Amino acid sequence: MLKCKINGVEVEVKEGTTIIEAFKIAGQKIAHYCWHPGLSVAGVCRLCMVEIKGQPRLQIACNTPVQDGMEITNQSEQVKETVRWGLDFHLINHPLDCPICDQAGECGLQDQYMEFGLYTPEMAEPKVKKHKVVDLGSKIVLDTERCILCSRCVRFTAEVTKTYELGIFNRGDRSEIGTFENKPLENNYALNTVDICPVGALTSKDFRFRQRVWYLQERESICTGCSTGCNIKIYFNEEGLFRIRPVYNEKVNGYWMCDEGRNIYKFVNKENRLLKAKKGRKGEWLEMEGGAAAKDVAHHFKSLDKERIALVVTGQFSNEEYEALFQFYKKNVGNDFVYHWINNKESFEDFDGLLLRGDRNPNTKGLLQKLEDYRYEQTWAHLEENLKAGKIETLIVAGPENPLWFPDLKEKVQQWGIQLSHLIWLSSAKVQAVDEVECLTWQIPLKTFFEKDGTYVNYQGLEQKSHRIATIVPGALSLSEAAHLMAGEEYKVDMAPILKGPKKNYYVHRRGYL
Amino acid sequence: MSIVHKDTPSTKWYLPGILSGMGLTIKKLFYNLFHRKKMPTLNYPEEKYEYSPRFKGNHVLTVKKDGSLRCTACMLCATNCPADCITIVAAEHEDPTVEKYPIHYEIDILRCVFCGFCEEACPVDAIRMGPEWQTPGLADDNFHYDIQRLAYRPQLKGGILSRVDDEERHQFGL
Repeated sequence: MLKCKINGVEVEVKEGTTIIEAFKIAGQKIAHYCWHPGLSVAGVCRLCMVEIKGQPRLQIACNTPVQDGMEITNQSEQVKETVRWGLDFHLINHPLDCPICDQAGECGLQDQYMEFGLYTPEMAEPKVKKHKVVDLGSKIVLDTERCILCSRCVRFTAEVTKTYELGIFNRGDRSEIGTFENKPLENNYALNTVDICPVGALTSKDFRFRQRVWYLQERESICTGCSTGCNIKIYFNEEGLFRIRPVYNEKVNGYWMCDEGRNIYKFVNKENRLLKAKKGRKGEWLEMEGGAAAKDVAHHFKSLDKERIALVVTGQFSNEEYEALFQFYKKNVGNDFVYHWINNKESFEDFDGLLLRGDRNPNTKGLLQKLEDYRYEQTWAHLEENLKAGKIETLIVAGPENPLWFPDLKEKVQQWGIQLSHLIWLSSAKVQAVDEVECLTWQIPLKTFFEKDGTYVNYQGLEQKSHRIATIVPGALSLSEAAHLMAGEEYKVDMAPILKGPKKNYYVHRRGYL
Repeated sequence: MSIVHKDTPSTKWYLPGILSGMGLTIKKLFYNLFHRKKMPTLNYPEEKYEYSPRFKGNHVLTVKKDGSLRCTACMLCATNCPADCITIVAAEHEDPTVEKYPIHYEIDILRCVFCGFCEEACPVDAIRMGPEWQTPGLADDNFHYDIQRLAYRPQLKGGILSRVDDEERHQFGL
């Protein structure tokens, strides 16, 4: 362990730590663009200048390892002056289009200018004009004028994804980021470059111009897109969820997440959700509240033949919900017709080498454990056999939260509609096929991961807790609440606060304090 | 309700009070009849008072030389609005030099407090507060003013030109 002093704060760091990492450990502010903890050191922005006692010249903190007994400061006049001039150079050709830039509000340039800059520009020459609104495929838009050439995105495609799409072209003040022969940037991790871009040069097409970032609230959660279970930050306001970004977790996802996972917010938003519970069959639906429908199921349950009921579960729910559901099933039905619906059998074990796994369920591990605990050993083939033989009349389906990853969904539901006499469909998603079934059906809207507490076990067997954030569909139930209500118990459904963002004019009320 | 009966000479002898009051009224009536120009009141709505051009009345969205909206949908006015009455929906423009523009701009004029903070926050002189202030309406009228009304209402005669011009700024290399 090495001892060093950073702005007077004494810290102990491991051997090989760079000064900038020691600054982060000591909790001291330091200006930087090109350095990112998940990437290699480039040392191109020259902003992280520090003064080391005993050395006549300033050093860059990102590429200088700490040595024992170093006394480092970035508070001296010399360092401040250097950083100010560095910023001035960065801003020479930067267009002042913050009003239309998506990054405004979370921009490295804006923050650092307020923190370390605050100078009057000394540049008299006109700005160099470069390419604006360059289309980089279906996900990303590039604005080369805004780019400060920190090369984070270039290093990301070279080091993390190893796809080498991006590069720096031309020389001097005409150098710009681009792809070779304008090929699109289409790898499945491309949107991470938008996250690490310290300015608004790379913007996401999905989020572009939809909201200003200061209208959004952010909360941490767990991605339910696949069995990796990346730690995420969800950005939302009262109009809905808008985007998802990764949060650092050493054990699970590091600094990154895949682009497919970023789309899971769409299944939480109202337009893709089952908003009201329904009872009936094709063409004659009776709408009701979720709780009322579950109670109605409980009422009908007595008249059903217990030996002809079966349960189908998907790996999309939390451990607590499986526990409640299996308890309900054990007490009220008692047979062992419990089936695990595996959505994509062929690609179940796939892995792209970084994060995305073929198993697109957040909690398959947890479900398998619970199935083992309750000794439910029947397979899907048994279900098909039993259905054909007419042994099953009623099916309770804890359906998918995310219907996109269940390609056989429509086909299965249609098949069940013919073979069954009763279907109890529990799902958060709006599924067209369920609206067209011929048998007597109860559709009960469920909560998504955003609206309930739960534990998810990822592919490594790591338990991660996800906390409820807000309610989007007021009548929805969690699977455990639905199980309690279907068992005929008196149960109080707990609801998270209704979706709310910060007030748009929040800063007006803090006038003079910023 | 309690009624206070004061039995004093001034309440008992009310007639002098009434007569003196009537006298004042008649005096003013005859004065105004012969000095009509000095009269402080207006015959509204036939006569209307003209405020100074600095008056903060109904909003105007300015336009560019080609007649399209100057607004870039940066939403600073909506952020700065203390009454929270501005709603903007932004979209991508085909022209890369414009990039972002509002497809929907709405001011809930009944919520607006006419403070002028939107005008102050605007970086491109896209919203101004005009001298127009008489905009009555019936209960079922639309008080959510849209782009059509804010920028192209007939009183503006095709729109008011913004002072900030992007083309000029590009020429100067800004």
